[in-house]
Amino acid sequence: MNEFLMYLTNGIVIGVINAISAIGVSLIVGIMRVVNFAHGELYIFAGYFSYHLSASLGVPPLLAMPLSIFFIFLIGIGMERTLIRPTYGDEMYSLIITFVLSIVLQNAALLIFGPYPNKPPNLVSGATNIFGLYHYGNQRLLSFFISIGILLFIFYLIKRTWFGKSIRAVSQDREMSSLVGVDHLRVNMLSFGLGAALAGAAGVIVAPIFPVTPTGSSAISLNAFVVVVLGGMGSLKGCVIGGLALGIIENLGAAYLSTMYRNIFGFVILILVLVFRPWGLFGQKAQ
Amino acid sequence: MKRLMVLVTVMTVLAMGSWAWAADTIKIGVVGPRTGPAAATGKAFEEGIAIALDHLNAKGGVLGKQVEVVFEDTGGVPEKAASALEKLATRDKVPIVVGESHSSSALAEIEVANRYKIPLIICEAWHDDITKKNYKWVFRAGPVNSGVVDFYIAPFVKDNRFKKVAIVRENSDWGVGIAEKTETDLKNFGIPFITLKVERESKDFYTELTKIKGENPDIILAYIYGTGLHFFVAQAHEVGLSPKCLILDGAGPPSLWDTFWKNVGKAGELELFMSSMHEKVHLTPTSRKFWDDYKKKYGKDPTDYKTRSIYNVVLIAADAINRAKSTDNEPIVAALEKTNLEVTTGIVKFGLKQGTYEYHQWMPPMLVVQWQGQKQVVVYPKEAATGALKKVK
Repeated sequence: MNEFLMYLTNGIVIGVINAISAIGVSLIVGIMRVVNFAHGELYIFAGYFSYHLSASLGVPPLLAMPLSIFFIFLIGIGMERTLIRPTYGDEMYSLIITFVLSIVLQNAALLIFGPYPNKPPNLVSGATNIFGLYHYGNQRLLSFFISIGILLFIFYLIKRTWFGKSIRAVSQDREMSSLVGVDHLRVNMLSFGLGAALAGAAGVIVAPIFPVTPTGSSAISLNAFVVVVLGGMGSLKGCVIGGLALGIIENLGAAYLSTMYRNIFGFVILILVLVFRPWGLFGQKAQ
Repeated sequence: MKRLMVLVTVMTVLAMGSWAWAADTIKIGVVGPRTGPAAATGKAFEEGIAIALDHLNAKGGVLGKQVEVVFEDTGGVPEKAASALEKLATRDKVPIVVGESHSSSALAEIEVANRYKIPLIICEAWHDDITKKNYKWVFRAGPVNSGVVDFYIAPFVKDNRFKKVAIVRENSDWGVGIAEKTETDLKNFGIPFITLKVERESKDFYTELTKIKGENPDIILAYIYGTGLHFFVAQAHEVGLSPKCLILDGAGPPSLWDTFWKNVGKAGELELFMSSMHEKVHLTPTSRKFWDDYKKKYGKDPTDYKTRSIYNVVLIAADAINRAKSTDNEPIVAALEKTNLEVTTGIVKFGLKQGTYEYHQWMPPMLVVQWQGQKQVVVYPKEAATGALKKVK
């Protein structure tokens, strides 16, 4: 029983980490119909920024984290202005551009940061004995709570604020929203920046647990796409549920079926969802 | 028309020029992962190659020509590895190829080497089949799974009276091979064990570690290569498994990478790993020279023993070409079979008896090293030990 609870806890924690790693992709797809293949690279860069700021330049880790996210936000804005904006209206172009960008950034990371895995310092160390049942790493618990905080903030931002309203307006109908006075270029730019910042947030939160490597970015993007497709393209709620489902299924599957096929369980679920509910668990059925 | 003529002339001169230039050097091909989860090995290889080239070229090169290396990336992926070797054989037309540290990639490469009849010396891919296939063109101057387990890992477990073993192996050719060999040996010794299979690129091992904890072993043989090992060691400490249960990194280099201590923190204390290099163990004068040259060039002590492995095979390849007095494949293989060369880890002599993995195989002596207070202490074999194995009661 202890072991089952441990597997479940870990599934939920990894699930939330999945969700935070994927929500940036979901946001950008939902609002702009752009699939950002360079998501994993932004995540990796944030992890490295956070590492170098704190380990090499001596910035306190708590300051290095938001600072790294802000850098990634700026990179996101820059990407949108230069590469993505000219492709509006043609999803294929943006797809190819972000794909090429992901390869360029991956190699740049290899060149700049070297091949070794790196991680920012832990904010907390050791493990907590949970209800006297099992030990669980403190850094994981902390990252879990920070992730939940960020997810709640994003939901609040999108559902309750004026900025969120204009984002949703643009995502529903770009032309109509500009007719009623929403500056859709600005909204797109900010939402792409926000999506990038979320990749960065995931990077700085998760990197102390799972150190970043330049070539680890493809796995992060892939995982994010699985979560997004599972939950439904563009649905934030779907993203959280998709992430949790993936985390729990992988952990219980690894525990009770085989550790060897951990990553396959996620893909089996993905295939089932694509066969029976191609629009995802919470996505909108295409008209 | 006149312009065309000029163009053709220029092209011809250029082509001849590059040919003439190419003939001035002897090119040795290298294959290894410069990207992927073990990209750090590529870095270690680059350092070792640089020192080997300095050494060779300072002595006047090979056959009176300077030696040059063409390093093709395999990414740790068999298909890429095969095409890397093919490129070296057809495009660069190198007389010999050395390197590799992934068994899966090496198993793909030996097929290509055999097809193109190009001599290949593997240095750090351990799967038995690489030499067991008895290909005429394939040599290995490095550890082999059976040797590592029979002479080091299994006796180490037995001599130190470990009561229960957990084998954790990644799903790669190396992982499968070395785990199976370990199971056989432990069965023969009557030591109980469990085996857990993991994905090569896993990051989260909590589930696996919880399962292992339920079995209560006192040593884990971790056959995981690359960054994954750092995750494994750090997480084993978090779930309260280590240091009560010791961990032996069956490959070694990941425990020596610069980032090891940053990534695992205090969980690295008392961790064990395989190595063929230790600052206090110098079996030959070449080993001392390598150490000094490395320090001079990079301003620090060498850490990853694969730097030295690639250094050795570059030297072996150069020596064979020198003795063959030719860059043709047949004479080189004949020369390799007669190799009697001092390298950093001993005197290289390849086995010639066909039918087993010992054909065209030479294995350097290995060490089991333990981190004690962030210092490397050799704990096995006894005759090389610089300290005693530490366990936590």
